[in-house]
Amino acid sequence: MSAEMEQRYAERLKRYTTAMRNEKPDKVPIRPFVAEFTAKYAGYTDQEVTHDYEKAFAAARKCAADFDWDATVGNMVYVWSGLVKAIGLKYYAVPGIELPPDTAFQYLEPPEDNAWMRPDEYDALIEDPTGYLFNVWLPRVSGDVSPMGEPTSYRNNLSFVKGGMAMMNYFHGFGTQAALLRSESGTVSAISGILKAPFDIIADKLRGYKGLCIDMFQQPDKVLAACEALAPHLLHVAAGGADPDRNVPVGLWMHRGCVPFLSPDQFERFYWPTLKQIIEGLWERGIQTLFYAEGEWNPNLKYIAELPDLSIVYHVDRGDIFEVHKAVGHKFCLSGGIPNDLLAFGTKDDVRDCCKRVIDGVAGDGGYIMDASAIMQDDTKVENLRAMTEFTREYGVY
Amino acid sequence: MSEQEKRKIEPGVCIPWDEKRKELPKISGDQELVKRVWEDVDALGYLYIWQCLLSF
Repeated sequence: MSAEMEQRYAERLKRYTTAMRNEKPDKVPIRPFVAEFTAKYAGYTDQEVTHDYEKAFAAARKCAADFDWDATVGNMVYVWSGLVKAIGLKYYAVPGIELPPDTAFQYLEPPEDNAWMRPDEYDALIEDPTGYLFNVWLPRVSGDVSPMGEPTSYRNNLSFVKGGMAMMNYFHGFGTQAALLRSESGTVSAISGILKAPFDIIADKLRGYKGLCIDMFQQPDKVLAACEALAPHLLHVAAGGADPDRNVPVGLWMHRGCVPFLSPDQFERFYWPTLKQIIEGLWERGIQTLFYAEGEWNPNLKYIAELPDLSIVYHVDRGDIFEVHKAVGHKFCLSGGIPNDLLAFGTKDDVRDCCKRVIDGVAGDGGYIMDASAIMQDDTKVENLRAMTEFTREYGVY
Repeated sequence: MSEQEKRKIEPGVCIPWDEKRKELPKISGDQELVKRVWEDVDALGYLYIWQCLLSF
């Protein structure tokens, strides 16, 4: 790596980590979460970056090289559909296969009466989550894996060999990608590791949202016990994937905790206790959590304020970022707050005005990272993301 | 479900070493080496299913 690039990387890492510690860096860091936008910018289809992760990596590096970003994610089109198909997973619609090539991949909710986990299977999940996933869940969500007790098959055996080796190749690819981002453009890999809330795992991958809503009324104690059974595993996986240097946070991607999916009482009872416990567990290990508050989370701010100072970087999607800053800005670094519809349909001047309002309103004492509200797909205009980047670089100087 | 299957499995583990150890003959060499490598590779199986759940 050239000395110039190494210096740029060091400056950007310091800028990014200083802000995440809720302190004042030299400039407002820029860390866009860009997914299918990278495909559009680099000249690929959504199918290409979803199905061929080397193209996704190349597209992310091209964006990093062309935009003055301090940090980005090695591949935000994270669900590699080549692996999805190798395992035979049923819950995704993939561009170029089930969807047009220029449509982003979609998650499919299970049928309400035929969810991946049945309503009477909570005890099995609670007793042994890992065993339940291997023995019951995987055969249901995979078209290739044979159910326990039924004859095995060539496709069953291949699924594990191909899936395991492909997963290892893919995850190793992120290490190479991080090194290339650093050496080619001096860009920091923004996050390391993955976390989801126990409640979201049950909603997304086990019972489906509707099934879980029914369970909250019909068997609430089982839901709570399942969240508690999943929590130590989710903590273990998140900690295992965290940055060993403790510079960058673990990404926490939340789906059903926001308004209106849960009432405040449901959030307090079902969603929050085990998620809080995991975030605190990570922080005890020195690991920050990138708290990606997708949707409207401001009604939950009083709970988020319970977390230890600096334990999260609070990413604001549809919540009012000025209210967030008032409520928890003294405790946590904030990021986001530039609406995606503005980046998709607004003008460059609209974007600059919005960036100015956000920087003026929440970045004055440091502890703010520029980003869109939500992960950027291919509707974000190139000129608008460039305006967000250039304006922040010019105006966001301390 | 057998008693063996019912006992609590810790995070990071699919088949605990104590369970596997019973299947092996007397270990003439370094038992800790065998244990460590068993646990390291077993953890990859754990990682596989939990990453299927979380990431894919």
